[in-house]
Amino acid sequence: MAILEIKNVSKFFGGLAANSDVSFDVHEGTIMGLIGPNGAGKTTLFNCITGYYPPSRGEVIFNGRRMNGLDPDKVCMLGMVRTWQKVRPLAKLSVVDNVMVGALARTGSLKVAREMAMEQLKVVRMEHRTNFLAGGLPIGERKKLEVARALATQPKILLLDEVMGGLNPAESEEIIQLILDIKQRGLTQMVIEHDMKAIMRISDRIVVLTSGEKLTEGSPQEVVSNPDVISAYLGEPHA
Amino acid sequence: MNKRVLKGSVILLLLAGLLLIPRFVESPYALHMMILLFLSVAQGQSWNILGGYAGQHSVGHAAYFGVGAYMTMMLMHSKGIAPWVGVWAGMAAVVVVALIIGSICFRLRGPYFVLASIAVAEIMRLSAINLTTLTNGAEGILATELPAFKIGATVVTDFVTKVPFYYIGLFLVVLTLGVTYWVQHSKLGYYFQAIREDQDAAHSLGINIALYKNIGLVLSAVLTSLAGSFYGIYVGFVDPPTVLGLDVSVQIMLICIIGGMGTLWGPVLGSLILVPLSEALRSNLVTDLLVKSGAVSAESRLGLFLKENLSHAHVLLYGILVVLVILFMPDGLMGFVKKLAMRRKREAV
Amino acid sequence: MAVFLQSLISGILIGGVYALIGIGLTLIFGVMRVINFAHGDILMVGMYLTYLIFTLLGIDPFVSVLITFPLMFLFGGFLQKVFINRVLDALAQNQILLTIGLGLIMSNTVMLIFTSDYKILTTSYSSATIKVGGGVSVSTPLLISFLITAAITAALYWFLLKTDTGQAIRATAQDRDAAQLMGINVKRMSIIAFGLGAALAGTAGALISPTYYIFPQVGSVFTLKAFVITVLGGMGSVVGATLGGVLIGITESMSAVYISSGWKDVVVFVLFLLVLLFKPSGLMGKSRT
Repeated sequence: MAILEIKNVSKFFGGLAANSDVSFDVHEGTIMGLIGPNGAGKTTLFNCITGYYPPSRGEVIFNGRRMNGLDPDKVCMLGMVRTWQKVRPLAKLSVVDNVMVGALARTGSLKVAREMAMEQLKVVRMEHRTNFLAGGLPIGERKKLEVARALATQPKILLLDEVMGGLNPAESEEIIQLILDIKQRGLTQMVIEHDMKAIMRISDRIVVLTSGEKLTEGSPQEVVSNPDVISAYLGEPHA
Repeated sequence: MNKRVLKGSVILLLLAGLLLIPRFVESPYALHMMILLFLSVAQGQSWNILGGYAGQHSVGHAAYFGVGAYMTMMLMHSKGIAPWVGVWAGMAAVVVVALIIGSICFRLRGPYFVLASIAVAEIMRLSAINLTTLTNGAEGILATELPAFKIGATVVTDFVTKVPFYYIGLFLVVLTLGVTYWVQHSKLGYYFQAIREDQDAAHSLGINIALYKNIGLVLSAVLTSLAGSFYGIYVGFVDPPTVLGLDVSVQIMLICIIGGMGTLWGPVLGSLILVPLSEALRSNLVTDLLVKSGAVSAESRLGLFLKENLSHAHVLLYGILVVLVILFMPDGLMGFVKKLAMRRKREAV
Repeated sequence: MAVFLQSLISGILIGGVYALIGIGLTLIFGVMRVINFAHGDILMVGMYLTYLIFTLLGIDPFVSVLITFPLMFLFGGFLQKVFINRVLDALAQNQILLTIGLGLIMSNTVMLIFTSDYKILTTSYSSATIKVGGGVSVSTPLLISFLITAAITAALYWFLLKTDTGQAIRATAQDRDAAQLMGINVKRMSIIAFGLGAALAGTAGALISPTYYIFPQVGSVFTLKAFVITVLGGMGSVVGATLGGVLIGITESMSAVYISSGWKDVVVFVLFLLVLLFKPSGLMGKSRT
């Protein structure tokens, strides 16, 4: 059974269909890439899946359970967590406190939460920043912090929204390694990305969205050689 | 010596000192000043939990202060119920008020929340004026005779001097500081601050926003109502503008703004500045000093003007302080101190 | 029936003045996203200014609007340039606190200078009324102030719709960054917007000075009411504030007649909470937080 089933999900804002009849499955332990030109509806889909707002139509099934209309905190407690396209550090709190907030979803003890937090900081290699104020971090570390914080909630599936956006090649490479490490631990991931090379390397399967609709899905090779996908990005057939 | 042990010992010493003061200080005026200080700290710490830590800036905390004050005074005045019983009624009433306010106001963000909190406090104040059978309307409630507090058959105090009020005030300070410390070092504190920093991010990390905001509100409201009840029995008189007015709400906030929101000692610092300052103005201390030092002649127009009006100027002072702090020290004194400490830490690295 | 008409008409007349207050506030919010808690106190300054002009120079309050408007405009511009400008990018609560502080300074400085004594500005026609027919009579000063309000509002609409500066202001209110990119001096627009807002509030104060008690704390009730009006109409919408003002005026007037004058403000605030609960974006609702 797929860990996450997206069934005919549509989201309307007034007359605008931000998502239109999108369906696909994500299988446990895999990485699903979600790509598409700007405005295709990728973040909207994430928002619908994680309860930021409910889908207008269709169903989101996670681990066999219908998620429509559940509040974001319930979604997180059930094991689905996301990061944000525009990073959201808890600026006035330290790095470790940020991650602890995530860990506190699973424990009431500050001591245990701190241990869990330090573990995740090790994973993203930010232990040297433990007591640093999150608001003072450069963008690359903010992104890593957000991943660490999400991981601390002990999710079963991690949704990453353009986690490599704005990073230089070295930083992106670090994130790619991180994503692959996370996969090794058995976590399922769905990754929105614009960096094609990265998506090709990490994804087991890719879903392509354009103008709110699912254009196609398949393995990285299938998707990248699909002429419709190419013209969706470039606007004309590419010989 | 371990830093924490050092800090703890200093605090214990301070507490011991404060406990002993009434033994050596007899002046009712000095005790009165300390009581005002304690009251201010209690008010500030209570607001701080909701406003400083959870980031919900209520500008209507007078609602809780006033309900606490009125409940205690009404019950004592019309039913002869002792204030240490009436206080519980005040707290219960405030919980109800807080939950209603929470359900309305917490859906709103930022400025809308502020406006709603002010509107609620105003509704309370106007209701107190209009519901004359309950509250005696604009005339207020005067009740200066307190029953004696007995444990068994022994009279602990009959509230004749200021000393019992001093200890109650000190108790409130320890209570509110204690609760703040506990919040700060618990899951509650982390969640409050997460909500303050980024509500949507917090939501996505498993935090039930409505639940925690309401916990913060109820906690803050109950402590504020205690301060209100204390004020009522100490002063012996309550009326709508004094305990339910907008300036009460602003004053409570001010204590935290100046001292530093979201910090344990911020409200203490803020009170240490505001209370003596406003008292100095109120009691013509400043004018007398100016005259004594020869800077201003007592008979001159300036002198007479100052003598007559400076005592009313403490609210003007509040306004000036707010503007100055917001423009130059938006994190309050504690924030300023912390920034200096951080800068030194970073330079040392 | 006459009672109903009477309170309705009084409500509309005072609603006009309320609309002025609301428009000023909504302009400030629209252009700068600043919640001006000193708005009522600015109105109070306008009242005292009018009082001074009347007692020292003998100029009729309605005529002195010609002086008060520009003076208050300058005052508003000054406030913007020196204080508000510094917190445009700060947290919303800091902006609110700053304007609260400014309001406190205004009301308490006035109290120091004039004392808290209620002042009354009585003109020859302060208690005059005009019979409108059907057993209904309206207060003459209220009628005159409504006419002036209507004229100012019309002028304002013309300014915003037909002049370059007015359109620039509207552009800045819609999208500050885009406006800046198109060459609009948004800093200047902010100063103008706050100046206008202050001028409108001050003028409203001038207009009600023949019929209201004048005292330093009179501003705070108006600040809250101004917010109710702008939220009801939709923050940032001038049309909304106009409608909101009239609606609130009518609500107040009817409540005073049919419930009691002590509870009329409570009705307005309860209405406010209901709006916040069910339609926070207001009547003309563009909710931009």
